Parts: sequence; C-alpha cells; structure tokens
Amino acid sequence: MALLEVTSLTKYYGDTAALRDISFEVKKGEFVAVIGPSGSGKTTLIRCINRLIPASDGKIIFDKENILNLRGNALRKARAKIGMIFQHYNLVERLSVIENVLHGRLGYKSSLEGMFGVYSEEEKEKAFNIITLLGLDDYVYRRCDQLSGGQMQRVGIARALVQDPRMILCDEPISSLDPSSSKVIMDYLKKIQKEFGITVVVNLHQVDVAKKYAQRILGFNGGSLVFDDEPGELSKKQIYKIYGTEAGELIID
Amino acid sequence: MTALIRNRRTGKIRVRKTQSSNLYMRGVLLVLAAITVYTLVTIDTKGADIAAASAKTAEYFWLMLTQPKAVPSHFGIQDGGGIGTFFSALHMLGITLALAFLTTLFGGIVALFLGVFAAGNLTNKKVSNGIKSFLAVVRAVPTVLWVLIFAIGAGLGSVAAVIGMSFHTISHLVKAYSESFEEIDEGVIEALRASGANWFQIVFQAVIPSSVSYILSWTFIRFEINFAVAVAMGAAAGAGGIGFQLFMAAGYFFDIREIGFITYLILAVSLIMEYLATRLKEKYHIHNGA
Ligand SMILES: Nc1ncnc2c1ncn2[C@@H]1O[C@H](COP(=O)(O)OP(=O)(O)OP(=O)(O)O)[C@@H](O)[C@H]1O
Ligand SMILES: [Mg+2]
Repeated sequence: MALLEVTSLTKYYGDTAALRDISFEVKKGEFVAVIGPSGSGKTTLIRCINRLIPASDGKIIFDKENILNLRGNALRKARAKIGMIFQHYNLVERLSVIENVLHGRLGYKSSLEGMFGVYSEEEKEKAFNIITLLGLDDYVYRRCDQLSGGQMQRVGIARALVQDPRMILCDEPISSLDPSSSKVIMDYLKKIQKEFGITVVVNLHQVDVAKKYAQRILGFNGGSLVFDDEPGELSKKQIYKIYGTEAGELIID
Repeated sequence: MTALIRNRRTGKIRVRKTQSSNLYMRGVLLVLAAITVYTLVTIDTKGADIAAASAKTAEYFWLMLTQPKAVPSHFGIQDGGGIGTFFSALHMLGITLALAFLTTLFGGIVALFLGVFAAGNLTNKKVSNGIKSFLAVVRAVPTVLWVLIFAIGAGLGSVAAVIGMSFHTISHLVKAYSESFEEIDEGVIEALRASGANWFQIVFQAVIPSSVSYILSWTFIRFEINFAVAVAMGAAAGAGGIGFQLFMAAGYFFDIREIGFITYLILAVSLIMEYLATRLKEKYHIHNGA
C-alpha cells in the first residue's frame, strides 16, 4: 500500500521550473534514495512533501491526506508524522542534546506547553531511550555545539524519531560527514527503516551509497524524474541519463 | 576582466578600491578639522587668562581626586557623621541603581516582545519595517530629552525619569535584540517548522535560546548606560539619588571635595558592574558580545 503518492507535482520558482510533472509512489516501510546532479530538484521535492515550500501544481497524498490542501493545525499534525533530517543538522546549538531531541515533540503540544518546554515524563523517557538507541547516552546533557558532526547528525535523527514519524525525509544527511561517520548515519537510517518500519526517503549525492542502502532509486535531471526503479536496474546508460555523459563517467569509474 | 588597480605614485598593487563614499568621508573630515582649528584660533575668551584658568582647573581637579571628603550635613546627617554619612550616600547610590535597574528591566521585557515582531525573519516585512522605523525616530531623540518630554505630563521627578528612560531603553534594545534574532540560522527555524512546531514555539524554543548571549550582553550594556543616565537624571530632572547630591555639591554647596567623594563612589559602582559583566560573560560563554 502506498504511504506517499505524488501525482503530477510541479514547482516553479518564478519562471524556472524546478520540478516538472513528477509522479511516483512510496510504499510503507520502503527505503528510497533520490539522486541527481546539483540543481536537479532533489531538495525542492523533499521540501514540497512536507510543505516547507508550496508546490505550484499537482497532488501529494500522504497517509490518505492531500498535504497540499492542509492548513493550520491540520498541517502541523501532518508534519509531525513526517520527520526531517538536514545536511547541516539544524540544531539549536546552545541547547542540550535532550532539549533538542524533545523539540521533535512540539508538533503534538499546545502552544503554551511547547513555548515553555513543558514535556511529560513519558516524553522525556522516550527521548532518552531514543538517545540511547543512537549511542548518545553519554551526551544527554551536553550542549550541541560541543558535539562532532556525526554526533550532531545522530541528534538530528533522534529529534526526527521522537516525533513517532511514519516517514523520514533526509536532505543530504551525509554530505558534511567523513566516510566512517557517513556509514554510521546510513546504518542508523537503515536500522530505523528495518526495525520500526518507518519509510525513509533520502537525497544523496553518492550513487554507490544509494545503491547499497536503497530498495528503490529515483533519479532526477533538470527537474524531471528520469529513473524510478530498483538499484539493480541502475545501469551505465541510466547513470548517463541522470548525470549526463561526462559526470556519469566519473561516477562509474 | 577587471584590471588590477595600482597606486598612482608607487605603482604597487592595491587590494582595496577607493570608493566615492571614502572620498566624501575624507572631505567631511577635512572640513571639520578646518572648522575646529579656525574656531580655536578665533574663540572669544572674554579676556580670561587661559594659562591661569587652566592652572586653577588643574588645581581643583587635583583637590577633587586627592582629598575627597563628604560633609555630613549635606547628606542629612546631624551629628557624628562618619559611618552615617557613608550609609546615607550608599542609600542615594541605591536609589540611582534602582532607577537604572527598573528602567532596564522594564525596557528589556517590552523590547523582547517588540524585538520578536521587529525581526524581519519572524514577521512580515511591513510589521518589521514599521516597528523599526518608528523606533529609529525614538532613538534619535536623546534619553534626557525624552525624560523632559514626559515631565510635561508627569512633572519633573522620578516618574518622568522612569518613563523617559524606559522609552529610550526599549528603542535601543529592540534594535539590538531584533538584529540578533535576524542572525539566527534559518535552517533551525525550518527544522522546527518541519516537525510541526508553531510560530510561538519556534520563537521561544529556538530563536530566544540561540540569542541568549546577545540578549544578556546588550541588556548589561544598557544597564551601564542607564546607570550613567540615572546619575544625570538626578541632577537634570530631579529624579533624586546620588546624581541629585552631585548636583547640590557642585551647584549649591560649591564643595569640590564632596564632588570628589561622590565621583569615587560612582567610579566604584562602575568597576563592580564591569567585574560582574565579565563574570556573566564567562558564565554564558559570550565570545562575541558586542
Ligand atoms: N529559493 C529559490 N528561488 C529560486 N530558485 C530556486 C530556489 N531554490 C532552488 N531553486 C532552483 O531550483 C532548482 C532546483 O534546486 P534544488 O535545490 O531542488 O536542487 P538540488 O537537486 O537539491 O541541488 P543540490 O544537489 O545542489 O542540493 C535549481 O535550478 C535552483 O536554482
Ligand atoms: Mg539540495
């Protein structure tokens, strides 16, 4: 059954088309990688899905609701069901690890409770358990500006997980990390997908990583979806189609 | 391609372009310097002997700094003096400090709210620009003038001083706060928005915590300013406190040694505040306090 169903999604920035008539489906519990050259629309796609930016046209059905029609509280509730992970982690660096993780609960809280950071005991325990799951239990009260990039990204994952999300969107989660931290992060994402059945959609610049971890790959070029299949089907020809001939050679070598 | 610019005389390569605004700046400075020199040369001294007057000033200054002494009766102490005078002076200092504290606290709280609405990344351009331009006008008028303006309604005294000083404090702090809010990483705001947080939650959970060091540092600077202003207000607006005593010593009792005493008291308070500010900064890791 499809958890996410994107139909004829189009996005214009002024006159430039960033997404052209995109249609695809993501099944519940699937691990999907989105690849494509710089400027091909990967970030735009991710942000349209949780409405950080408005789409120009089309439909995005997530969990049986058209995201594009939601407003106010309904939109907040829908966003709470979608976690997001960023290249630059986007944590409040002056706050501690657990405070940042608890921010993932804000979507479920009343304005006042959220404003003053009033969380229930269950929420705090849940946050602590997730922090432990990600191997950060030694850093619970550490300020985030004292963490390494890999650790900050794990805090980012914890913040997304504490939302109890149905799906997690990741925009280049490993582009600022060294190979070994990258592997740790990708392994955690895989674990989340496998053990909790959470759908993962991840933008990547590394084709080999995409092939290794994803069950399905979406290839973008110039705002169009030019590849949508299993990693095994990603042939040389397809890579050329996504990245163009010259860059394609670099990737295949 | 842009050609490299060389110094006309030496032929060395320049790394900075001389911009027209730089030229204007130099022109203005030159004119100002010329006017200063002209004024100094042609000043009307009304026949006073500059040398003698300077010597007298220096003498008074020396007397003030080396032999400070308070007259008990000026501080409302009838007999004995000594310790009583000192406590009376401390009490007056307390009034001045309280004036500074109250106006900073009051101004700071109001500025925190207005600052959020004045930050361009948190509200729309219209609201932000509206608040900013209104407060720019408020800021352009000096604090003392605001106190005098409010004195029309409230009468000269502490009430006018509190309102007027708070007013200017707000305009100053809103600018400082909102600028630090605007510097916050857009990505952090986005991350919370993506998790379903609403505007109020984002402001309190991300924006204000990220700016805490700036807020503290600016508020403390404003407290120091307000202390100085409160001293002046004691004299100029009859707001009481140590400033009023200074005014009396200078303009009524003509007691240069008492002025020395009061000056040292004020200096001591300033030093203590400086020390506290440093400690505060260490505690909150303020590396870039403005
Ligand atoms: N805010 C914006 N305003 C105008 N144009 C934009 C904006 N954001 C993105 N674009 C344009 O939309 C297109 C797609 O950009 P997008 O950021 O989605 O690419 P991307 O695939 O994520 O690239 P990268 O791999 O470099 O992150 C690009 O042509 C880009 O210039
Ligand atoms: Mg991108």
